[in-house]
Amino acid sequence: MSKTATARPQGEILIETVDLIRDYPDGHVRALQGVRFVVRRGEYVAIMGQSGSGKSTLLNLLGGLDRPTSGEVRFGGRPLDDFPSLDVYRSSQIGFVFQSFYLLPTLTALQNVQVPMFEGSLNAAERRNRAAELLELVGMSKRAGHRPHQLSVGERQRVAIARALANNPELLLADEPTGALDSRTGDAILGLFDQLHRERGVTLIVVTHSEAVAAAAERVFWMRDGQETKGPDRNK
Amino acid sequence: MWFSTFLVLNLFRRRARSLLTIGGMTIAIGTTVALLGIAKNLEQTMMQSFAGRGVDLIVSEERKLDPLTSDIPEDLAAKIHEVPGVEEVGPGLLELVNYTHDGAEMSLMLQGWEPGSFLFDDVVLKEGRQFNADENDVVVLGVNAADALEKQVGDTMTIQRKQYKVVGVIEPNSFQERGLAFLPLAELQRLMGRPNSVTGFSVRVARSPGVETSVDDVRKGINALTASDDVPVRIAAVPTAEFVQQSPHIQVSRAMAWATSLIALIVGAVGTLNTMLMSVVERLKEISILRAIGWKRTRVASMILGECFVLSIVGATLGIIGAGFLLRWLAYYPLTKMLIQGDMPPIVILEGLTVAAVVALFGGGYPAWRATQLTPVEGLSHE
Repeated sequence: MSKTATARPQGEILIETVDLIRDYPDGHVRALQGVRFVVRRGEYVAIMGQSGSGKSTLLNLLGGLDRPTSGEVRFGGRPLDDFPSLDVYRSSQIGFVFQSFYLLPTLTALQNVQVPMFEGSLNAAERRNRAAELLELVGMSKRAGHRPHQLSVGERQRVAIARALANNPELLLADEPTGALDSRTGDAILGLFDQLHRERGVTLIVVTHSEAVAAAAERVFWMRDGQETKGPDRNK
Repeated sequence: MWFSTFLVLNLFRRRARSLLTIGGMTIAIGTTVALLGIAKNLEQTMMQSFAGRGVDLIVSEERKLDPLTSDIPEDLAAKIHEVPGVEEVGPGLLELVNYTHDGAEMSLMLQGWEPGSFLFDDVVLKEGRQFNADENDVVVLGVNAADALEKQVGDTMTIQRKQYKVVGVIEPNSFQERGLAFLPLAELQRLMGRPNSVTGFSVRVARSPGVETSVDDVRKGINALTASDDVPVRIAAVPTAEFVQQSPHIQVSRAMAWATSLIALIVGAVGTLNTMLMSVVERLKEISILRAIGWKRTRVASMILGECFVLSIVGATLGIIGAGFLLRWLAYYPLTKMLIQGDMPPIVILEGLTVAAVVALFGGGYPAWRATQLTPVEGLSHE
């Protein structure tokens, strides 16, 4: 069922980390201990490991949400520090999908998808059209006028995925995207990820505890105690 | 979706708090605009009275810009008239007396002018007639005074224990003068025990076609009279605009308006600050999400300040509308109708909106700064 980290990725390197270390001084914790992680353009990679293994810390650093204590993250061969700011990096290259969706409750699905686009150059009509296209892509066009509380959890996650694609990112990062969903809904979301990966060539990195998610990915990057490991730690 | 739509929808999420903040701003800006409106009205009405009859200079006792405290010999009018460029000189005596109306004590402003004075030029006679040179026991009322005192032509009224017959009701250009009772100058001097005394002179500068007389030259000419041995008091001629600006009544009303407004505005700003700070604290995770999905710090700051501006401007608009209604009501209320004009000067509306924007900046500045200091991962740490 589970895959090893030895699967052969194809294409040029999209994102990589070099000797990545992240300390949390408050808790005297070294969350990442010199991690080297490489993802090629068009890959679909799952990051797995037990709680506290450093998966989410790695995802945050890949997404420019946090800065490493030492080492660096390179995107397209370019260190993140070379971008005008991490804000610019995130808004131009990265799409995030969260476990709890985090849609804004007063906005409709169509409006939620437009929120990241305020940073772009599109005008109001163009934002609306693009959001409608993305909702159609994730199968939510008929629910475009509904607010989050009127949607099922699966539908909310679809809207969140459409929002993550709003600025046409190179890389989609997902943190436990099926963690709040039942297995059937989770499978549907995985189907959507697979479709985005195959049909649109989206590069996907998914942090998960789920074997099903890992099975859907092309490759699994296993982590334990802030380091890469060869496979699941069955003793823990 | 416009960014402004997004801001408004955000405010709808916390309706009660947004409404309370708007209510606070409405009261703060409404108070400010109403008080500034009253002060501005007072200023404009004084300017109207001078402009209406072409008065260029006001002569009063030096350093006594309050007409009620000025005391100048009336016969100085002749000397002022001799100053080159002076066309008309209108002496006036202004007095404030107690008056009993319907058993209640109130203040009544009396204005003594010479019968036939050019100062009556812009006055519209609404009823009856003006007083003549040979009359003593007659009074002409401004329309608002007649209305408030419930008097009409033919009625009598007792002023300082002396009975006067109302012979006319007039509507001067100046709102302030509509609340006055006008007596012949000599009669008012007798009544108040101030023979040959006036509080000031209104001076009109000559303007013949092709000849531009300098008001400043006339002013200097009048002020030079002070050096003359036969002028017993020091007098000062002041251009009307300057006279209005320096008027203690105007200055006090303006200072009172701003002082009272300042308190209201501080309360409004603190209320807004509290609302927006609470909003930021409650939305730490949401702000982190917005940062994570690509929003820059400046966009987050725009959101917080924008919400603050929406609250302030909505509050200010309601406050301005409320102040407009308040001024209208005060203009009809018996106790204040002689003092307050119901109009809302556009400059005061602009001041109200500017103040609201400044309050928004103060109320939203710190919360916006705080929101921008949040790193995306901080708010997501509970994920």
